[in-house]
Amino acid sequence: MRRGARATLLVAWLLVLAGLGWVVAQRLKVSTDLRSFMPAPTTPDQRLLMEQVGEGPGSRLLLLTISGPSDAPLAALSQGLATALKKDARYSQVLNGSFDLSSLDPQLLPYRYLLSPTLDTQPLDEAYLADQLQQRLDDLSSPAASLLKSLLPLDPTLETLKLAERWAPAKSPELRDGMWFTPRHEALLLVQTVAAGFDPGAQEQAIDGIRQAFHALPGSAGAHLELSGPGYFSVLIGAQTRHQADWIGRVSTVGFIALLLLAYRSVGSLLLSALPIASAALAGIAALTLAFGEVHGITLAFGFTLLGVAQEYPIRVLSHRRAGEDALDSVRDLWPLLLTAIASACIAYLAFYASGVAGLQQLAVFTIVGLLVAGLSTRYLLPHLLPRRVRDVAAMGWLILARDWLDHLPRPRWVPLLVALATAAMLALAPGPFWQNNLAALTPVPTALLQHDARLREALGAPDVRYLLVLQAPTEQGVLALSQSLQPQADALVARHAVDAIELPSRYLPTVAQQRARQQQLPDRATLEQALAGALQGMPFRADLFQPFVDDVETARALPPLTPERYAQTPLGQRLTAMLVRRDGHWLGLATVSGVHDVAALQTLGADRGGAVHLLDLKAASESLVAAYRTRILQALLAAALLLVLTISIALRSARRAWHVLAPMTLATFLVLAVERVAGIEISLFHLVALILAGGLGLHYALFFERDTGDPAEQRRTLHATVVCVLSALLVFGMLAWATIPVLRAIGLTVSLGVAFHFCLSILMAPHARQD
Amino acid sequence: MIAALRQPAPAHTAFAEARFLQVLDRPLVVSGQLSWLGGDRLQRRVEHPRAETATIADGEVTQQREGKPPRHFSLKRAPQLQVLLDSFAALLGGDAGRLQQAFEIRHEGDAAGAWTLTLVPRDARVARTVARIRIDGAGNQPRCMHMEEADGDLAVDLLGPLAARMPAQPTRTGLQALCQGSP
Repeated sequence: MRRGARATLLVAWLLVLAGLGWVVAQRLKVSTDLRSFMPAPTTPDQRLLMEQVGEGPGSRLLLLTISGPSDAPLAALSQGLATALKKDARYSQVLNGSFDLSSLDPQLLPYRYLLSPTLDTQPLDEAYLADQLQQRLDDLSSPAASLLKSLLPLDPTLETLKLAERWAPAKSPELRDGMWFTPRHEALLLVQTVAAGFDPGAQEQAIDGIRQAFHALPGSAGAHLELSGPGYFSVLIGAQTRHQADWIGRVSTVGFIALLLLAYRSVGSLLLSALPIASAALAGIAALTLAFGEVHGITLAFGFTLLGVAQEYPIRVLSHRRAGEDALDSVRDLWPLLLTAIASACIAYLAFYASGVAGLQQLAVFTIVGLLVAGLSTRYLLPHLLPRRVRDVAAMGWLILARDWLDHLPRPRWVPLLVALATAAMLALAPGPFWQNNLAALTPVPTALLQHDARLREALGAPDVRYLLVLQAPTEQGVLALSQSLQPQADALVARHAVDAIELPSRYLPTVAQQRARQQQLPDRATLEQALAGALQGMPFRADLFQPFVDDVETARALPPLTPERYAQTPLGQRLTAMLVRRDGHWLGLATVSGVHDVAALQTLGADRGGAVHLLDLKAASESLVAAYRTRILQALLAAALLLVLTISIALRSARRAWHVLAPMTLATFLVLAVERVAGIEISLFHLVALILAGGLGLHYALFFERDTGDPAEQRRTLHATVVCVLSALLVFGMLAWATIPVLRAIGLTVSLGVAFHFCLSILMAPHARQD
Repeated sequence: MIAALRQPAPAHTAFAEARFLQVLDRPLVVSGQLSWLGGDRLQRRVEHPRAETATIADGEVTQQREGKPPRHFSLKRAPQLQVLLDSFAALLGGDAGRLQQAFEIRHEGDAAGAWTLTLVPRDARVARTVARIRIDGAGNQPRCMHMEEADGDLAVDLLGPLAARMPAQPTRTGLQALCQGSP
């Protein structure tokens, strides 16, 4: 191609890339909801699990500690922070142990007679009022008098206090200076965010809000604020993973460029060979923006990793160029093999699409589009641009020696058999369970933070994140009624220490029927005034003191009963709303449990309700979810493997040659599994994904080594290309293997091991070398 | 003068308290024993009309009533008790420094004869509830303690031998006369 035409092609290519970049910039919306990378739920328990993981009350809880040199300023900081956060719409509940009479919204104050259980057993008659007033008189002469004086005229029977006690967490932490403290002298606060727990973007805003409110407090300079909870973890892990991946990415990019410069000694070639990859990435993202509304951040991160395979295409072209030969001719020679490799990799990635997980499907679209674009641009565009004069790598001294040495390696037929037997033995004898079913192991929170979290939950009696009691009824009121009727059994379980606390939805709101029954118990104004007058006989209270009380009772008699919808406008009502879920025409009540000591006893709770009540074990549900997910991935992989055998057989037009390509690849894949298992690693979904990637790379090595050109120079070029590919893969994934984030490490280690094993086995099992 | 008030712990003194509260038509009268147990520990035991014990220790108040489980709450939530503790512990410990720290002090009279100490809490949060305390005494004996709350309510404690002289129907002026009268 003429110089002018080359320049035109280059400019046109760059313009197309710029256009794609513009499309991406216009349309790309990155989502952060981690659940799109979790498997699709199939059973009702699994569906509930996915909702709870993302939006349940447990996932919205943030646990805060304030530590510092001494107790006194900590209590003030705790109070200051709670006051600031209560005014902020981002938080639905803030608890720090401080005595709070305002737990009932002032507008809902007359509802106290409908919400408190007092009237179930006790009418507001003269005898009861007299006893209560005598007790208030005692209270007034006690040191607690100042707490009470303001409340007395409105609420002489202290219903607001009874409700405050009823709604206080079941197990309160140690109180110091009126605030919660941990045994380690940290002030403790509990904040429920409005944002869902697994939306790291919204959680990050909520967390920033807390930090800002804290730092704005006077005296906060010497104190230290620490956060914990699922939302905080998702933000932290997201940031850590990003940070580590960025850092590793930068180092390996520099190494990668250095390696290519060393291999090809041409800056021009290097820059040009980056074009297919850049095209692949942009086309992949553009395809995603067209096919999906939102693109997940993890898709992009993993996608770029998986596209690493595509870097092989230009490398093969560069290494296989002969002196004086047009780049186009070298590519034509290579193309059938390259096409086989591209088709095979696309088939392997199709397995992701079949997994049915939204995030993995995006990944499949991204990588398949990317690989096709990289492959086609390497074939049809890149050769026209490459410089004409190149150094033929086949003439390099070290390469001749290396190829010679490899060709003379003994290749006894029993080597693959021995490797296969060793692999089988290692897989059979490896310690521990084979599969890692724990979702938590995939979202790796540092142990120290988990222990900190467990310690705070212990101190707070915060709900267990593992168990959830699920109540089912046709209507919302039905759930509340069921919850109410379970209360005695729940109390009995707590008394037996089978569990520390069970928080049923009816704790926050009784049924409409019960509220009506209580309303019936309220005396009319005349009756109440008469009873009050009788009770006040001989008491020193001012005659008209209790007018607000009489008015409130009168108001309460005429109130429409409180429903969850009306209640939802208040913080406590929001807490209740989170416990009531509408599902397929019926309602679910979610009761949290804390401190489970006897699971079997807890399972008997509501066992006589004909299946309307059951204990959901979130861990078991998540493990069954992961196991089902894996089964689907394995099935998809099996289908992909069969397709792969078919593709390779057709492409090579020989079952025997296909065997020579597929055997080392299969053996190496199982060898990676065996080595990881022997090292005590339990296999997670990420290991499987990484194995597929390594398999794709291994297929290239096997395909090219199997190719018998009968030309020693071409064999040397194949070795050169493969060595460059192996080294670059080892560089990128070997770096990832050193990451502290388990997901990155799982991928890095698996791919590095895979690349090494695939390389060795495909050389040792290459047929013609043995025949030489 | 404050040093002269010093007594070894534990120091017990009888008290009779009349509370003039806005929510009540007539004052509330209780009597019992106040004990300074040394340091920051104080016990207020009510014997009449109903037994009740409030104990302050380590910044926490424990309130016990017959036939009921004990209640615990923070001293910070009972400013009256905080003031009682600050003044009593300082006076009986003879600790003028501590008294200075907690209150602005005004002193009238002479140390040998009748005297009056007026204490205004320095802590703004405490002062929101307790406006001031007045302690009347003679020689090395405190006789009365008046606790004026910010909302106008008043508690008058007759201490020591004077406690026995609490009238059945006390009035503010009557008690005033009793406190400043001859021993």
